[in-house]
Amino acid sequence: MNTLRELRKLVLGETWTLPLGVAGALGIAAGLRALAGSNDWWRDGGGVVLALLVLVVLVLSLRSKAR
Amino acid sequence: MLTVLGAALAVALELFESLAIVLAVALTRRTRDAVVGALAAVVFCAALAVVVGPLLISRVAIEPLRLIVGTALLLFGLEWLRKAILRLAGLRARSDSYLEFEQERETLRELEAPPADRTDWAARTIAFKGVALEGVEIILIVTALAARPGGLTPALIGASVALALTVALGLVLHRPARRIPETQLKYIVGLVLTSFGCFFAGEGLGIHWPLGDAALLVLAGVFLLASRLLVATLGRATPAAAQGGTA
Repeated sequence: MNTLRELRKLVLGETWTLPLGVAGALGIAAGLRALAGSNDWWRDGGGVVLALLVLVVLVLSLRSKAR
Repeated sequence: MLTVLGAALAVALELFESLAIVLAVALTRRTRDAVVGALAAVVFCAALAVVVGPLLISRVAIEPLRLIVGTALLLFGLEWLRKAILRLAGLRARSDSYLEFEQERETLRELEAPPADRTDWAARTIAFKGVALEGVEIILIVTALAARPGGLTPALIGASVALALTVALGLVLHRPARRIPETQLKYIVGLVLTSFGCFFAGEGLGIHWPLGDAALLVLAGVFLLASRLLVATLGRATPAAAQGGTA
């Protein structure tokens, strides 16, 4: 049981904020891509949005520990 | 080059942690049991690598594969980066394999050793667990870095160099080196893996990175800048950080 917990920590990390945050960020990105449709803005500018979403996840994962 | 660096550093640091546990078992109990436990874990991890990598590459189409690889790298990279920021800000103890080595030896001393003619299952289990748990992370990181087109060779070169160096270090030192800046190295690995993760996840989501592969360096720069700001912000609230303390 302890080994399974350690394995989960190795794969998903020590906090649920990161896996949930990554899933949320990629979900939002996928939603924006679907909304963009054939419009080129996502293809050319989506990288900035994704990088910002990843940074938000990083900040959120630090928030609980820093409080 | 970034793939070689990322794979080499990630594998070396994980192996270094495994080495601390195996050396603790070898020095506190019997070398033979430590080696048997570690080798069993290596066989387990090799079997896992043989299954996971080819399965991913042969069964998954290129765009979803990039997304899967990106997600895995983001999970590992952000976790390493999060811990490194907390350590550098003084909110978490610094990474120290030597301390882990001493703690493992203490735990082993408390366990009763079997007679000389009996197998030391406790020692073998501890060595196996130490290598297998770190090994699984190594397999996942190297598989993710190798799964992109052209990524196999640099990922394997990086991993092989790290493996050779760590084994050589273990044979020469007989105990973990104390002066390796593990926290800073883990910070670099976090930056590299997060940049790769963002890049591949983006490609999987139909993003066209303006500078091609060079966008990885821009992403690494952005995450470096952001993480330094976070270290400075969190560190201001922690007196120990100002003194470079280990919290």
